[in-house]
Amino acid sequence: MFPEPTLSLMDVQTRHLFFTGKGGVGKTSLACAAAVALADAGKRVLLVSTDPASNLQHVFYTDIDEKTPTAIEGVENLYALNLDPEEAAGTYRDRVIGPVRGVLPEATVREMEEQLSGACTTEIAAFDEFTALLADPQATAGFEHVVFDTAPTGHTLRLLSLPNAWTGFLDTNTSGTSCLGPLAGLEKQRQQYKAAVDALADGAATTLVLVSRPQRSALAEAARTSEELAELKIRNQRLALNGLMPEPRCDDPLALALRRRDESALADMPEALKALPVDRIPLQPHNLVGVPALRALLMNMESAIDEPAEITEYLPPIPTGPLYDLVDEIEKDGHGLVMVMGKGGVGKTTLAAAIAVELAGRGNEVNLTTTDPAAHLDSTVHGEVDMLKISRIDPQVETERYRSHIMETKGKDLDSKGRAMLEEDLRSPCTEEIAVFKAFSKAIREGGRKFVVMDTAPTGHTLLLLDATGAYHRDIVRHVKEGTRFATPMMQLQDPAQTKMLLVTLPETTPVLEAAALQEDLRRAGIEPWAWIINASLAASGPTDPLLAARALSELEQIGKVQREMAHRTALVPWAVEEPTGSENLRQLLFFANNTIRQEVHT
Amino acid sequence: MKLEVFDPPMCCSSGVCEPDVDPALTQFAADLEGLNRRGVEVCRYNLAHEPMAFARNTTVRDELQADEGCLPLVLLNGKIVSKCAYPSGEFLASVIAEETEHVS
Repeated sequence: MFPEPTLSLMDVQTRHLFFTGKGGVGKTSLACAAAVALADAGKRVLLVSTDPASNLQHVFYTDIDEKTPTAIEGVENLYALNLDPEEAAGTYRDRVIGPVRGVLPEATVREMEEQLSGACTTEIAAFDEFTALLADPQATAGFEHVVFDTAPTGHTLRLLSLPNAWTGFLDTNTSGTSCLGPLAGLEKQRQQYKAAVDALADGAATTLVLVSRPQRSALAEAARTSEELAELKIRNQRLALNGLMPEPRCDDPLALALRRRDESALADMPEALKALPVDRIPLQPHNLVGVPALRALLMNMESAIDEPAEITEYLPPIPTGPLYDLVDEIEKDGHGLVMVMGKGGVGKTTLAAAIAVELAGRGNEVNLTTTDPAAHLDSTVHGEVDMLKISRIDPQVETERYRSHIMETKGKDLDSKGRAMLEEDLRSPCTEEIAVFKAFSKAIREGGRKFVVMDTAPTGHTLLLLDATGAYHRDIVRHVKEGTRFATPMMQLQDPAQTKMLLVTLPETTPVLEAAALQEDLRRAGIEPWAWIINASLAASGPTDPLLAARALSELEQIGKVQREMAHRTALVPWAVEEPTGSENLRQLLFFANNTIRQEVHT
Repeated sequence: MKLEVFDPPMCCSSGVCEPDVDPALTQFAADLEGLNRRGVEVCRYNLAHEPMAFARNTTVRDELQADEGCLPLVLLNGKIVSKCAYPSGEFLASVIAEETEHVS
C-alpha cells in the first residue's frame, strides 16, 4: 500500500525497540516513524512514550491515554501509550508523604518532599513504568512490536542489577539503603525488575537504537552510551544519524559549512560506533507532525523542499533581540554573578565566554569560571582581553577527587558489596553536580565586587538539599569574616541584583521543554531565571539555502513560546558552524547576521 | 533488646548524594551490624521512605514536634537514648549494658 521504507531500521525483527539519545536529537520523531512503518507493514504495534518531554499528542494530533493503548487514527494496527514519569514520581511522593502530612512537622514534610523531587526519583519512576511492559507478557499481549521513545540509563540499570541494592530493602535493613530508595516505595517485585533487565539484554528480544546528531560531541556521547550499555550486555545496538545536511543546492556559506562539518565528524566516527548498523536521516525542513510527515521521513527522501527559490524570500522577521542587548542590561549593575545554565550540549560554555569577553571588552573587571574540558577558551581568549581573568574547573577532576574522598572516608570500612553499592551511588548525576558546585563556591563570593561569569549552575534540587542539610550555613559561618555582604549564598543566588541566572536552550521543542523544567526546579528554590538565551538559531544567522531557511521559519514557534510563556527577557544567538574561538569570533555571537530582519516589538 | 534508628530523610542513605558526607554514618552502620550479630534487634527507618514509622511512634512524633532538628534519633526499647547525631559504638554498647542490667 505504501512505498517500501528505505531505512534498514525497518528490518528490525525484535519485539522491543528502544530509542535513546540526548533531548532534542529526534528520538520521539524516529520512534513514531518506526512505529508507523512497522504498522504499515502489517504488524500490530504499541508505541510507548515515557519521556517527560514527549509530545506524542502533538505528533499524532490525538489525545493519548496513560493506561489504555490509544488507537492512532490513519494508521491501522498502531496504538500508543503516554506514560508520564513526572506524574508517576508525583504519585509516589503523594503516597509516601500523604499519610504523614499534618502528623509530622511542616518543615519535616517539606524536607521529605525535596528529597523525593530529584531527577533520580523521576528516572526510577520512569523505569518502573517500563518494567510492567517489558516483564509482564499480559501487559503487551497482542502486540508484535513495542516501540519505546526512551531507554533507561546505564546508571539505573547498574543500580538494579546490583544484588546488594535489594538486600538492603528485603533483608534486615540495618545498614541503610541506597539511591534505590525511591524504588522501594514503588512496590514492584524484584523478579519483575530482573525480567525487565533480562529482556533488555536479550538481543533476540530487544534492539536499542542510539540516536545522534552527526556532530563530533554528540557522536562522542553516543559512543559512551553505547559502551556503557554494551557492558551491561545490551549489545543489539544500531545507530541512527539524524539531521544530516544534504548536498546544498546553492552556495549559502552556512549550508556548505554545515555539510563539511557533518562530513568531517562522520569521517572521524568513534570506534565504538563504527561496527553498528547505521541509518542516515537527512535534515528535515519542518518539525515532524502528522502521519504523512512521519511516513515521508523513513522514505529517506532527499529533501522535502519542492521549490527552493521561494522560501529564501521569506526569512522570518525575528521577534527578539540579540545577546548584545542583554549584556547592556547586565553591565548596568557594574558587578554581579552571571550564571549560564542549561542541559548539556546547548552551548553554555561558549555563551558564558561571549558574555565575559564583551563585558571585559567594555572595561569591566570580569572573572570567567569555566568547566570547558578542552580549555580551548583558555588558550584562545587568554591575553587578548585586558580585564578578563579565566579560571578553570575540570568537572572530571573535581568529581574524581570527590569520589575518591568519599571512598576513602565512607567506604573504608565497608565490605565489597557495600563498596560496590557506594561506588554506584557515586556515579549518579548528582555527584558531579555537587562536586563541581563545591569547586565553584569560591568564585561565587567574588560577585560582590566584579563580574563573575560561570558556565554552569546548580539545579534547584541541589540547592534545596544543600540548604536543608545546613552545609550552606556552615559555609557562611566560615566565610562571613571575610567581609562579604550577603547573608547566605542561597540568598545571594535568589537576589537578581546580585545573581542573574541565564537559562540556555535551543529553538526546538524538547530542549525548550527541558529548559522549562530547569526553570520550575529553580523556582522551587526561590530563584527566578533572569533571562532565557535561545542558542544556535538559524533564523538569527540568515541562511539563504532553502532547506535551512525553512528550518529557520519553523524555529519561530518555539522562540515565540519562550517569549510569551517562559521568559522575562529573551535573547537569540545565531548558529555558529564551528565552535567560535578568540574574542572576535565570540563577539559575533552577540549580533544577528546582516541579512536578518528584526520584527518591531511594541512594548 | 530492640534498637530503633530514625534517620533524617536521605535520598540515598549512603548520604553520598548530599554535599556533606557524615563519616560517622558508615561507622554507625558497621556498629549496628555488630550489635545485630550479638542478638540486638535493630530496625532502621529513613524519613524519606518510611515516614509512617515516624508518625506511628508517639515518642518520635512528639520529639519531632518539639525539635525538628532531633534526627537522627536512636531509641532503645522505646526510649530515646540519642538525638541530633549518630552515637559512637562505645556509647551504644554502654547504654545497652545499662539496659541489660536494668532489665535483669
